[in-house]
Amino acid sequence: MIDLKTGPAPNSIAETLSRNLIFVGGKGGVGKTVVSQALALLHAQSGKKTLWVAIEDPTRPPGELKKTGPSLWHLNCEATHAFEEYAGLKIGISALTQLFLKNKLMRYLAQAAPGIHELVLLGKIWHERLQYDHVVVDMPSTGYGLAMFQSTENFSRLFRGGPIHRDAEAMLATFADPKQVGQVIIAIPEEMPLQEALELDDYLAKLFPKNRAAFIANKIFPHSSSIREPANDWEKNPLARTAKEYIERRQRLEADNLKTWEERSIPWKELEMVPPNEGAGLEFVVRALAEQLQSRIVDRALK
Amino acid sequence: MTLDDSIKNKKVLITCGTGGVGKTTLSAALGVRSAWLGKKTVVVTMDPAKRLATALGLKNLGDHPTDLTPLLIEAAKKIPGARAPLGTLAAIMPDTRRTFETFVRELAPTPVIADRVMRNPIFQLFTKEFSGANEYMALERLDAIVRTGDYDLIVLDTPPSRNTLAFLDAPQLLARFFEERLIRWLVLPANKLLATGMRKALGILESLTGAGFMTHLFDFTAALFEVRTGFTANLKRITELLKSKDVGFLMVTTPTPETVEEIRHFVDTLHDHQFRFEGVALNRTLGYLEVEEKERSQPYLVLRGLQKRERHVLEELSRTGIPLCAKLPEMARDVHSLEDLFHVAMAFETGSLDQHDLRPNGARSSKPT
Repeated sequence: MIDLKTGPAPNSIAETLSRNLIFVGGKGGVGKTVVSQALALLHAQSGKKTLWVAIEDPTRPPGELKKTGPSLWHLNCEATHAFEEYAGLKIGISALTQLFLKNKLMRYLAQAAPGIHELVLLGKIWHERLQYDHVVVDMPSTGYGLAMFQSTENFSRLFRGGPIHRDAEAMLATFADPKQVGQVIIAIPEEMPLQEALELDDYLAKLFPKNRAAFIANKIFPHSSSIREPANDWEKNPLARTAKEYIERRQRLEADNLKTWEERSIPWKELEMVPPNEGAGLEFVVRALAEQLQSRIVDRALK
Repeated sequence: MTLDDSIKNKKVLITCGTGGVGKTTLSAALGVRSAWLGKKTVVVTMDPAKRLATALGLKNLGDHPTDLTPLLIEAAKKIPGARAPLGTLAAIMPDTRRTFETFVRELAPTPVIADRVMRNPIFQLFTKEFSGANEYMALERLDAIVRTGDYDLIVLDTPPSRNTLAFLDAPQLLARFFEERLIRWLVLPANKLLATGMRKALGILESLTGAGFMTHLFDFTAALFEVRTGFTANLKRITELLKSKDVGFLMVTTPTPETVEEIRHFVDTLHDHQFRFEGVALNRTLGYLEVEEKERSQPYLVLRGLQKRERHVLEELSRTGIPLCAKLPEMARDVHSLEDLFHVAMAFETGSLDQHDLRPNGARSSKPT
C-alpha cells in the first residue's frame, strides 16, 4: 500500500471540494448519491453553474438533463447516448456517423466490448466539464467506479495512436491534475466500507499519484454525552438487547472502526446521520447534508 | 416461507442485492444453518474484497473448497443449547481470472488456440477489472460445482451490484457475441463478399482505433470462434439450471425508501427469465428494539425514525404481496466469526427475532433439533 505521507495530500478537504470536476466514490450503500447531490447543491447555492451527474440511474430517463434549481442541473449519463454523441463528434460527417451507428456489428461491439461502456461515460463527463463551474459525479460503487478510470487507461494503451487514444490520454491528464479534478471517497463507519475506501485510495493513487483523495465519513450516528460507554461483554453476543444498549454499542463501534483511518493518518471529515423524516424524501436529506457540508467543512476551512 | 424452508427445499440458493446490505454475511449464515440442519453445504462467493473470509474469520479463502466443518463444530460448542452440526460446510472464493482461463482452456479445441486467445491484448483487457466477466464466471463456477454432485446445497453469493439484474443478463449478453451472423464479419475481414456498408463501418472503426487494434480484434474473434460450440452448450445448460425448480433466488435488502421499488423491479426480471423467487430477506432491521417515547435526544430520534421507516417498508411489502422470508436484526457490531453466524441464523426458522428471544447469553432455549 502507498504511504499517504509520501504522496502530496490535498491542501484540505474544503479545497478538494472546490475544484471543477469532483468524483465521489466509495462502497455501495455509503451515501454517495446524497452527499454528491448535497455538494452540488452547495455550489449552486453560491451561484456557481453546477452539474450533478448520475451514472445510468435506472429510475430516470436515460440521458436526461434536468434543471433542478437556479444554477443546478442533473444529468443521468447513459452509455448509448454518450457513445452516439462521441461517434458524431469523431466521425464528423452525419451520414457516415449514422452508417456506423446503425451497423449491427458496431452496435454489438459498443454494447458488449468490455470497457467501452465505462470509457464513453467518463468521456461524456470530461467533455461536459468546462460548460460548468462545477461538475459533481456520483460514481458507481468502488470496483465499478474504479473500472471507469482503469478502462480509460487500458484503452489508451490498446489503441496506440488514433483519435480515441488521444482523447483517452487527454482525459487521464485532466484526472491527474489536482487543479482541475478532485476525488472524494465516502465511507460509513463500518469495517468494510472503511477498508474499501483505503483500497480505492490506493488504486487511485497508482493511477493519479499527484492527485490524492479526500475522505468523508458519512451517516455517523448522533452522539449524546449522556450515554455511557457500553459494557465490554459484547464480543459474546453481536445483538443488542435494549435501545440504550444499541446506541451505546453503536457509538463505541463507530469510534473503534474509524481507528483504521486514524492509524493511516488519513484526515477526514464527518457527516452525521439525518433522522429519517417521513414523507420528506431525498431532497430533505440532501439539504440537511448541504448545511452540514457548509458548517463542518467549508466554514471551518475559512477560519 | 422461511429461510429454513428454502434451505430444506432447494439445491441451489442464489443471493442477490446491492452493496452494503449484508448479502455475504447472510450467505455465510445460510451455509452455517444448512450445515447445522444436516446438509452437505458449500458457500460460493466471488466477492473481491474477501468479505466472506472476514465473515468466517478466515484469512485465506481460496479457489479450492475449504472445509469449515471442524471450525463449525467448535463454534457450535460456544453457543449454549446448540447441538453439533449434522452436515458439513465448505467455502469457495473463486479466482475470477483463473476461472476464466480454465473456462477458455476447457472450451478451446486445442491448447494452441487457448494460448492464442489468452495472449491477445483484447482478451487480457477482457479479464482485467471487467465486472461483466465476474457475473458470468460465477454462473460458470456454479454449474461446475453442481455437476460434481458433491453437495446437497450450494449457496451462491453474487457480486454486489447496483443493478442486481446485470447478473441475470450476463449469459445472454455473452451469448450474442457468438451469434454467427455477427462474428462472421470479424473472422473473415478480407472477404470480398462484405457489403459496402459493413466495409465502410469497419473502415471507420479502424480510423478511430488506430493501427494494430483491428488486427488484434480479428485475431481474437477468430480464436474465440473456435470455442463457440462449447460455449453455447454451456450457456444452454446454465440457463436450464437457473430455471430449474431446485434453484431459488433470494433478494437481500435493507429498509430504505428505495427498497420496495428495487424489489419489484427484481421480481419482474426474475419472472421474465422464468427464474424462481424465494423471497426477500430484509436485513439490518431495528424493529426488535423497544424505544421509549420519553427519550427525546438525537440518537433516540434517529432510532425511532429508522424504525418508522422500516415499518413502512414492511407494510408496503405486505400490501404488494411480496414474500418476506426473513426479517433480520441489525447487529451491534460486525459479524466476523462462525459463532456470530449462528446468531444471524437464529431468525431463519421463524422468520424473525423477537424480544423474548434475546436471552442474556443471546441463545434461544428449547428449540427442537
